[in-house]
Amino acid sequence: MTIDAIDLSDVGRVLAGDTDAFEGIVRRWQRPLVNMAWRYCRDRARAEEMAQEAFVRAWRGLAGWRRESSFSTWLFALAANVYRSELKRFPTVDVPLEEIAEPASPANQYEAAAEQRRHEVLRRAVLALPMRYREPVVLYYFHEMDVGAAARTMGLPEGTVKARLARGRELLRKRFPHLNETGAQGANAALRTGREALR
Amino acid sequence: MKLIKDQETNSGMPRTEIEIDAMDRILAAEEELVPSSGFVAAAMERVREEAAVPAPIPFPWKRAVPGLVLAAGVLGWGAWAAVRFAWPALHEFAKSSPQIPVAAVPALEEAGWVVLALAVSLGSWMLSMRLMRRSGMM
Repeated sequence: MTIDAIDLSDVGRVLAGDTDAFEGIVRRWQRPLVNMAWRYCRDRARAEEMAQEAFVRAWRGLAGWRRESSFSTWLFALAANVYRSELKRFPTVDVPLEEIAEPASPANQYEAAAEQRRHEVLRRAVLALPMRYREPVVLYYFHEMDVGAAARTMGLPEGTVKARLARGRELLRKRFPHLNETGAQGANAALRTGREALR
Repeated sequence: MKLIKDQETNSGMPRTEIEIDAMDRILAAEEELVPSSGFVAAAMERVREEAAVPAPIPFPWKRAVPGLVLAAGVLGWGAWAAVRFAWPALHEFAKSSPQIPVAAVPALEEAGWVVLALAVSLGSWMLSMRLMRRSGMM
């Protein structure tokens, strides 16, 4: 049985009045939704709260899912709406992009730790982007660099998302002009660490 | 690793692969967060709370329709009667045009210009705010 089929079966049971069947949906999708929320706010406790809110809204709106798209597409789009409005109500601590300092070159003995810090600064800098550029950047990397998936989640045409993504990346590149000089080697290590963590 | 091929740098040169790779790899290599152990229970508790709330009482359309029709009829009749009786009075009023003192005309003209200037300022401010929002500066 595929995940889609399991989701469909659970949705059917929930709509028939079995609230407990929703637990299966929460279990299957908790990781993606919490991780997506984390990328929006980079605050663990808040990410979980936002993901919970997304599940509650999903439960409420389940009858409105028209099955034109997959359940995951619908759920991600709904979650993105919830996260967007939550961040509008209570924004993350906004530091202007210009005020984020590019870390100095790391000393050799602390290279790995310093590289990690450089990467974290870059990831946090994404939150300093204006919302219209931030969201495409967040969702593009969340969806493993799939512009189409990011566009479906945002409910926007691919061309629009691509243009906003390009602008967001351009702003980040301007803020981090030395990224390439030291970023490439450390980035490879970070990618390996990230992939291992995903396994 | 996919690249955005239609992007160019400020100098008009295409972005190099290394540039894109460095940023892509850092932003894509995010360690996955594991939800806390109580997450499912907490989410389901909230869902059950929602489920326990009784559904809202639907609006009693069947009972309300006659009342609504009657109210619409009364309002329509009232409007028709008002127009019917007010029309001749309006006609009379239009015939005797109001007298504006000559001394007040320049002041009224100036006031008109002030109102126009304020409207133009408001319009340009709203337009600039809109453009700033569109360009992501706000």
